[in-house]
Amino acid sequence: MAFLDQIQAISGHNANLCFQCSKCSSGCPMADRMDLKPAQLMHNIRLGREQEVLHSRAIWLCLGCETCTARCPQEVHPAEAIAAARALAIKKGIRPRVKEVGIYYQGFINNMRMNGKIHDASIAAIAGLRTGRILKDLPLAWKLMIRGRIKPPPLPFGGRGFIKLHQRIIEIEKETWQ
Amino acid sequence: MSYGYYPGCSLEGISEEYDISIRSLFEVLDIPVNDIEDWICCGTMAAPSLSPLLGLAAPLSSVIQAKHQNFEKIIAPCSECLYHFKRATLKVDQDQSVRTDLSEVMGESLDHLPVSIHPLELLYHPDYEALIKSRLVPERDLSALKVVCYYGCHISRPADVMQFDDPENPKSMDEMLEWTGVIVLDWKSKLDCCGAHFSLIQPDIVVELSKEIYLAALEVEADAVVVACPMCHANLDTRQNDIANLLGRPIDMPILYFSQVLGYALGLEMKQLGFEKHLIDPVPLMLEKCQSRQFAQIPHRRE
Repeated sequence: MAFLDQIQAISGHNANLCFQCSKCSSGCPMADRMDLKPAQLMHNIRLGREQEVLHSRAIWLCLGCETCTARCPQEVHPAEAIAAARALAIKKGIRPRVKEVGIYYQGFINNMRMNGKIHDASIAAIAGLRTGRILKDLPLAWKLMIRGRIKPPPLPFGGRGFIKLHQRIIEIEKETWQ
Repeated sequence: MSYGYYPGCSLEGISEEYDISIRSLFEVLDIPVNDIEDWICCGTMAAPSLSPLLGLAAPLSSVIQAKHQNFEKIIAPCSECLYHFKRATLKVDQDQSVRTDLSEVMGESLDHLPVSIHPLELLYHPDYEALIKSRLVPERDLSALKVVCYYGCHISRPADVMQFDDPENPKSMDEMLEWTGVIVLDWKSKLDCCGAHFSLIQPDIVVELSKEIYLAALEVEADAVVVACPMCHANLDTRQNDIANLLGRPIDMPILYFSQVLGYALGLEMKQLGFEKHLIDPVPLMLEKCQSRQFAQIPHRRE
């Protein structure tokens, strides 16, 4: 399957409808930090430039605020296409160019596997340890703790249903994307 | 109508005050809600970014739980969770192949799924307007309080998924707060992203994005920012000091939930609204601005 079709198969939207008006780039709060702006990402997807898209920092900098999608006159749903590109990068074993985001997402899913729900403070602590930020955030954590907004982690025995679901999905997606 | 309540992970952790205040509000308005049992995390952006199917299956799992418990609607106060619920149910409705894949994965039929709504969607209705106006407590007159409503990303955006309010200029929260007599100011950052998603990994970006929101609120001289999303709240409430340092001036602007403002006007106690859990303490502001009309307004009238 060509790159463009893979993106469409995941996102459910046809990137080829994009006519490069660049409203997505103008509204994007992260555009000035991106190596490829949303409109450029869309154009690269249309041209099948898989490596440029999947190795970009931009796909990992997307905040998912959906401003691009809300304003797109062609309803190509750029945010969905960018999410599809992230998923494709992972499936193809390409490491997230913004390392912290990859660590955070993976930590999130690992936490879901422990209990179905997530424990926000554990995710923060693990992400903090792995990205080396933890010391900076300790004073804030203390303030939240004395107000009862950080709860002790639950026992990790509630995730069996989710793990089964996740395992089935991993098998199905392996077949689809090989 | 039977409502299933989906608190979501934030409301059980860092945003407990939202959970407390929304439950108190439903109680005082006699809206019967029951928790959905065995719900799981919606997966937010992490699940669809790593696995497209998981990004749909995780929210659907809780929607199916709600269906088993015969709830007709799901109330999700977190707009991120809500977005993923609405997105997943919409995808299942529109895309037959996704529907087949997912019903196979989940071992369930995906027909007649309950609809997910935000508490704003529930309360933004003439019946509730009349009810709330009839139950306002005179001692809790809010007519000296000036606020801006911050909708953030997912209350109304993207329109095809959320199907609520205007994606470029939402008004529901503004109008709802005006029912209580609060002065709601117009401002430019209603829908700007605060960057909450990067809160744990790249707070510098978050601080920069949220700074713009505070500057806009300061520009119109608001007393407080009112939000309807736990991510927005956690972000603005916890990072305010960093932003004040960056700006080189104190901000001291409490971040309130719409449920807290409504609940306060309806006479609920501070404890029932979770005010003590905020980092930027809203109690002094509420006491100063929200005395009964006689106390609050006489000095201004004389001028």
